[in-house]
Amino acid sequence: MPAQDSVLGRLKHSVSSSGRVTKRGESEGAGDAGDAIDGPPVSVTGIVATDSSISDADGDGGASYVGGTGIGDVAPQRAHGVEDLDRRQERRAEWTVAAYFGLSTIATLAFVVTDLIGNTHRQYYTPLLGTFLGLALGGLGFGMITWAKKLMGNEEAVQEREPHFSPPEEVAAAAAVFSKGVETSGIAQRPIIRRTLLMASGALGLIGVVPLLNLGPMSGRKPKALGETSWRLTKATTDISGKPTKGIRMIDQTGRPIKLGDLAAGGLLTVFPALDESKAEPNTFGEPTLQVKGDSTVLLIRLHPGELTGKHVDGTYFDHIAFSKICTHAGCPVSLYEQQTHHLLCPCHQSIFDVTDGARPLSGPAARPLPQLAISVDEEGYFIATGDFNQPVGPTFWERG
Amino acid sequence: MSTVTPVEKVIRAQDNRFSNAKFLRKSLNKVFPDHWSFLLGEIALYSFIVLLLSGTYLTLFFDPSQTETVYHGSYAPLEGVPMSLAYSSTVRLSFDVRAGLIFRQIHHWAALLFVASIIIHLMRVFFTGAFRKPREVNWLIGVVLLVLGLVEGFAGYSLPDDLLSGTGLRIMYSVIQSVPVVGTWLGYLLFGGEFPGQGLIPRLYVMHILLVPGILLALISAHLGIMWHQKHTQFPGPGRTENNVVGHRMFPHFAAKSGGFFMMVFGMCALLGGLAQINPVWLYGPYDPSQVSAASQPDFYIGFLDGSTRLWLPWEFRGGGVSLSSMFWPTVVLPGLLFTALALYPWLEAKFTGDKEFHNLLERPRDNPTRTGIGAMALSFYGVLMISGGNDIIATTFHISLNAMTWGGRTACILVPPVVFYMTRRICYALQDKDRELEIHGVETGIVRQLPSGEFVEVTIPKPIPAHVELTSVDGDGVTRHEVEGNSVLTKGARAVSGFFVERGDEANSKTPDEIAGQRK
Repeated sequence: MPAQDSVLGRLKHSVSSSGRVTKRGESEGAGDAGDAIDGPPVSVTGIVATDSSISDADGDGGASYVGGTGIGDVAPQRAHGVEDLDRRQERRAEWTVAAYFGLSTIATLAFVVTDLIGNTHRQYYTPLLGTFLGLALGGLGFGMITWAKKLMGNEEAVQEREPHFSPPEEVAAAAAVFSKGVETSGIAQRPIIRRTLLMASGALGLIGVVPLLNLGPMSGRKPKALGETSWRLTKATTDISGKPTKGIRMIDQTGRPIKLGDLAAGGLLTVFPALDESKAEPNTFGEPTLQVKGDSTVLLIRLHPGELTGKHVDGTYFDHIAFSKICTHAGCPVSLYEQQTHHLLCPCHQSIFDVTDGARPLSGPAARPLPQLAISVDEEGYFIATGDFNQPVGPTFWERG
Repeated sequence: MSTVTPVEKVIRAQDNRFSNAKFLRKSLNKVFPDHWSFLLGEIALYSFIVLLLSGTYLTLFFDPSQTETVYHGSYAPLEGVPMSLAYSSTVRLSFDVRAGLIFRQIHHWAALLFVASIIIHLMRVFFTGAFRKPREVNWLIGVVLLVLGLVEGFAGYSLPDDLLSGTGLRIMYSVIQSVPVVGTWLGYLLFGGEFPGQGLIPRLYVMHILLVPGILLALISAHLGIMWHQKHTQFPGPGRTENNVVGHRMFPHFAAKSGGFFMMVFGMCALLGGLAQINPVWLYGPYDPSQVSAASQPDFYIGFLDGSTRLWLPWEFRGGGVSLSSMFWPTVVLPGLLFTALALYPWLEAKFTGDKEFHNLLERPRDNPTRTGIGAMALSFYGVLMISGGNDIIATTFHISLNAMTWGGRTACILVPPVVFYMTRRICYALQDKDRELEIHGVETGIVRQLPSGEFVEVTIPKPIPAHVELTSVDGDGVTRHEVEGNSVLTKGARAVSGFFVERGDEANSKTPDEIAGQRK
């Protein structure tokens, strides 16, 4: 056994010279595989001797410069007498580990049973599952760590590091091989090939861009402009009898149209454009879709008489004023209203807008006022919006101007 | 050979195919240094495994579709409410699927743990200088892992299509839109049209369960492979040099402990998932662009971006027919700069210090006051942003004006970091002085002696090295190590916790340096 001999031979040098080799008790864990592999000296000295370099000599690439001088060795440095275990202590540790493993087994079974026969709708279900799974895994974890700490001995191994770099000759050789390859390919001498290769690779790269562009809107229709909302009046905007209307009615979340007088002074309501009128029942509308809500959500606010003055009266109707609910900062719905101060607050980033001053931003990160929607009331007394917002709604985008 | 053991048979059979006996032996014998802070990266790795396992279970029941449906299920408050299939399947998963809620909550907790442990692991690597040559590339991979972790977390958080996550997506759409020139198109492409669009949830789903985890898995393998190849760094200490590794071997010690640690991380996630409610989407309701709840908060790791958005001034540039949103600076430029600086830090430090050496021994934070100062400065900046991300909640809870919180945050993110940098450096120097004094001057004995000349001097003795340091050099700072003294509950707890992970010697057998020196002779 030449290899084994070399291990032992080297061990004499590898063992730490600190002189603090302590003897482990006779109760050394019998199943220590490391000891068994690495030979008799271990059990005598109580040191786990290891060696990674027996076969370094028969050489992987590194052998030439690594040499047989023990690089890659694991040499025990100090074994410290942490727990001089007597039999009773060892037995106790063994039982502790076994208890953890036992607990884990029971908890696993309990988990399975709870999962199968428990009632998912009862309050105990999830907490019990979590507790049992936690115990099942934690028990195994505690058991394994206790085992390692108490019963696997307390080696402290030292291993030499291999150098982080190759010798200069090796680097030079690698560079030479690569250069030789480049030379053989002739890429430097054949500019036509080089340039057309670059061209072809570049063109191929474009194919990667095409699927990205295909990600766009899937409807196939030309996307409507970002500045436009569902409040926009088109020639096609007609009432149920087919006559063009003067505006689009406002409905609430449930599709109910809003009448003058529905809002008390100081009140506020989130309204949407009334788009699909039921053919069967006139003046009943479908609930607004998410896509419509995305940019056409409006806050209809009724102020107290006299609070709106000067130019701010434009586009309002009888103390009612309507603003886009979509914050001009990051697009959250501006949903907190302080009746006394007429301030609207966006809960996402705390921008504050003044309702009586054209929804001008007072503080926070928003830079622009909320767009206003000009409103009126039709012959039947329902609120209508007479056109789209006075500015594009929502956060600023590049083409907004 | 007289007898061939079964183990040998198996290894021979393997070796005849892969000729890996030598590799196997080297791997089993590989030495890992032991220090509690080396476990932080392991937590990240193990929580990633928990994420893969729990996430796979969730995919079996989750339906990533924005198709509208009306809820009819066992959760009565949502009966008859229109919602997307993504949301209704999440509610069904939570209430009706066996072990659905527990695995959903384990998944969410593990995600938080994943990002948190990456951040803390990064701090450990930074403050101990573990990123220095030859480990710069692994640092870079680590930074990419952090960024991908944030992306992955945000994508997962957005999948249930509830009111809270939808609000987050609305803000994300605005962030994308704020990019100059291409922003509008980017938003259209990602969301499949103007917000909310129809395409996002299925696309996020593919990103969340395939694309990003695939890249994460590949990069984590590279991260570990490089670490394995280069061998782990270690703290300095007796017997430890730049050219060796002192610690436990891979098998059985490290394998047993690390395996046990994985079980404990998983077990912790299971306990949290079972006992601590997280992200109860059924309370938030389905997403509706016209609604939002007050005090909407993202998961903690996005908090700093929320904070920077809140603090940024309403500066919007208009002209030449185009607009540049104020959102662009705090949500695109700022994280871009932060993560670039983070990624390049090893090279920057090497450039400015001229340190081109190989380093396998770690530094204590105090040993490198400038680096520690820079790290503390960055953390304080992050901290101010993070606090500002919840400034409305703080304002409400402590009855502070929201305006004061905003302006306080704006001031603090400029003033606090330099102050912290200065203070940290000073503290580092003071600690160094203290170490030096202890090393030269020794420990005070309280004995005062009068010299024949009449002069009074205090007798000092060299500081004894605790036995476990001398024996195992766990903390690695040799003579200048300070023991955790005291009997308060906290210090006892600290000792117990670190004692569980780190072997300790018999403290009663501590020897003074003299005794040790005597022994060595």
